[in-house]
Amino acid sequence: MLQQHHQQHQHHLQTAVTAAPPPPAASSTPSSSTTGEAPPKQVALAMDRLGHAARLIADIRLGADRLLEALFVAAQPHQSSKPLHLFRQEDESMRQHLQDLRTVGRQLEESGVLNESLRSRSNSWGLHMPLVCPDGAVVAYAWKRQLAGQAGASAVDRTRLALKAFTDQKRRFFPHLDDEEDGQGTDSVSKKRRNLQALAEDNQDNLSNCKTLSDVLTSLEKDMPNLKVLTYERLDWLKRASSLPASAIDNTMEAPKHNFHSSSILRPAPQNVVAMDKIAVIELFFPSVFRAVVSLHPAGSTDPDSVAFFSPDEGGSYIHARGYSVYHVFRQITEHATVALQYFLGIRSETALHFLLHWICSYQTLFTKVCSKCGRLLAMDRQSALLLPPVHRPYQTFSASKISTQSISSTGDQSCNAPAAYHIGCFTEDL
Amino acid sequence: MPLKWYWVLNWQPNAGSTVNSQILNEVTQCVESINGVKEGRWKATLTFYKPMLRDQALSAEFPRDFLGISLPEQPNKYYFILRGHKIVLEADSSIQLIMEKLQSYKSRVALNFEGFQYQLGDFQLRVGKVVPNQSESLRGIVMEVEYLPISSIEKSRQIMEEFVDIWQDAVSKRSLPGHFMHLEPNFSDYGLADHYTSQHTAVQYTHVMAHLIASGQAVQAARN
Repeated sequence: MLQQHHQQHQHHLQTAVTAAPPPPAASSTPSSSTTGEAPPKQVALAMDRLGHAARLIADIRLGADRLLEALFVAAQPHQSSKPLHLFRQEDESMRQHLQDLRTVGRQLEESGVLNESLRSRSNSWGLHMPLVCPDGAVVAYAWKRQLAGQAGASAVDRTRLALKAFTDQKRRFFPHLDDEEDGQGTDSVSKKRRNLQALAEDNQDNLSNCKTLSDVLTSLEKDMPNLKVLTYERLDWLKRASSLPASAIDNTMEAPKHNFHSSSILRPAPQNVVAMDKIAVIELFFPSVFRAVVSLHPAGSTDPDSVAFFSPDEGGSYIHARGYSVYHVFRQITEHATVALQYFLGIRSETALHFLLHWICSYQTLFTKVCSKCGRLLAMDRQSALLLPPVHRPYQTFSASKISTQSISSTGDQSCNAPAAYHIGCFTEDL
Repeated sequence: MPLKWYWVLNWQPNAGSTVNSQILNEVTQCVESINGVKEGRWKATLTFYKPMLRDQALSAEFPRDFLGISLPEQPNKYYFILRGHKIVLEADSSIQLIMEKLQSYKSRVALNFEGFQYQLGDFQLRVGKVVPNQSESLRGIVMEVEYLPISSIEKSRQIMEEFVDIWQDAVSKRSLPGHFMHLEPNFSDYGLADHYTSQHTAVQYTHVMAHLIASGQAVQAARN
């Protein structure tokens, strides 16, 4: 039987020799085979061997499991010689696998897969051997890594462009952050001092009470009796927005104030059902004037992350804190409010929500309060060629105590306590 | 729905001055001078009804001023007004067919309000002429101003008044033989609330019509 085996073995060798390809490199020596074959074939071979190595490793793992199993069975009492037989079998196959793995490993090493010895070959057609990187990643073509490097270089360019774009946007939306860059000397310093003083004053008036979300909402409801404040979980808001009326509600005999209370389709779940720690959307509704949506992130916190204004009659799934109204006046206010929000977050971050909500309430006079500069309600905005009411309410020197309803007793109230309003064109920085 | 104010061009009866298309052009140019963008056409109709009775002597028991109005923004509806009784009613547009089949009322005279509409940001303007159904003679010029974002009559009053000022300013620069007059009907007389609806519009049309008649411009049409 052994002789037969030997003969077969010899026969195999002979066929291997006769079947050797014309190039002098025979397949018996792995190192010379790589010099004779075309690069794609080398790469394909290398990939093959890598695959083979992976299979061997899997086999070894399985073998190890079986060995352990055999040991476990042997540890049981009343066993025959079966576990010993299993053990011997497994031992043999494991040794064979490990031997094969060593062979493949040697082949791979010689063909340059496990190191970078062949990277600079001149006749490699631009292809390189698959590379097993130190971190374990297999790169089929080493030039992929080169490309990645080049992509990194263009990423630097792109980042530079992006940074420039962001700087422009920053100047537009966060003007207060650029204050120190203005070379106005004493003017800006005194303005900052004024701001800080206002800040200190405000800090003293009861802001220590407004630490939690429920405090903020309660104080708001107390200050603004004609405001409707509603809170929602994030997904609930979508349902609410879609059910909002897009056109007039069919209840002409009822005053607008009662619209939402009487119509059961539109009424959301009662307020006390929404847990404080799940509140993600706050809706401020001044009947017949506007609806503002504020989003909190994370839910239940006092950190607003976006705000938007809409007409009281608008409805649809685009009504959310990052949406835009179809009407120009509310779009302009939304843009202005976004800047104000960033200001409140930057300068007064702990009480940002408190200030933001009260500042939003200053817009209840949107259609009645004339501009503090030109004295008119409607003005043609030069930039957009639109007739707009005063959509700017200053936020830098905003004090929450100014807009409680006591100071806005009538629509024509021009007392110096009420916050000013400006048209876009009438508002300049030094006001 | 968004609030509308109606205007009618009113001028002192002057020997020789008549409402003509040239004035309409001037008004149109005025709209464009305050950045109005032309959007499309609009048309509304107003019909005076009289009852069809076998015994004409009974006609005195029926209200004289029974009007029917169709509005462009509500194609499926038809509005009835009884001016004397201050009643406004919204009905389905098929009521006209029913009335015809029943032979209960017939149209005494019908007037068309038609023209172009313009967009000025959040405002929508309609300029139109008043012509009787069968003829082409211009009986009057009307204008409709709509402020889209809000629907409360009270809240939008100031905005509309300021718009009026701006408009009158623009118009005064052109030498029109007349001036625009705003008619504010008392909506609560008709039982209507602060939230603006098409029924409010119907009432305003009625008033415009009444004004045109009173100032003698549509006298020829109403006399029957």
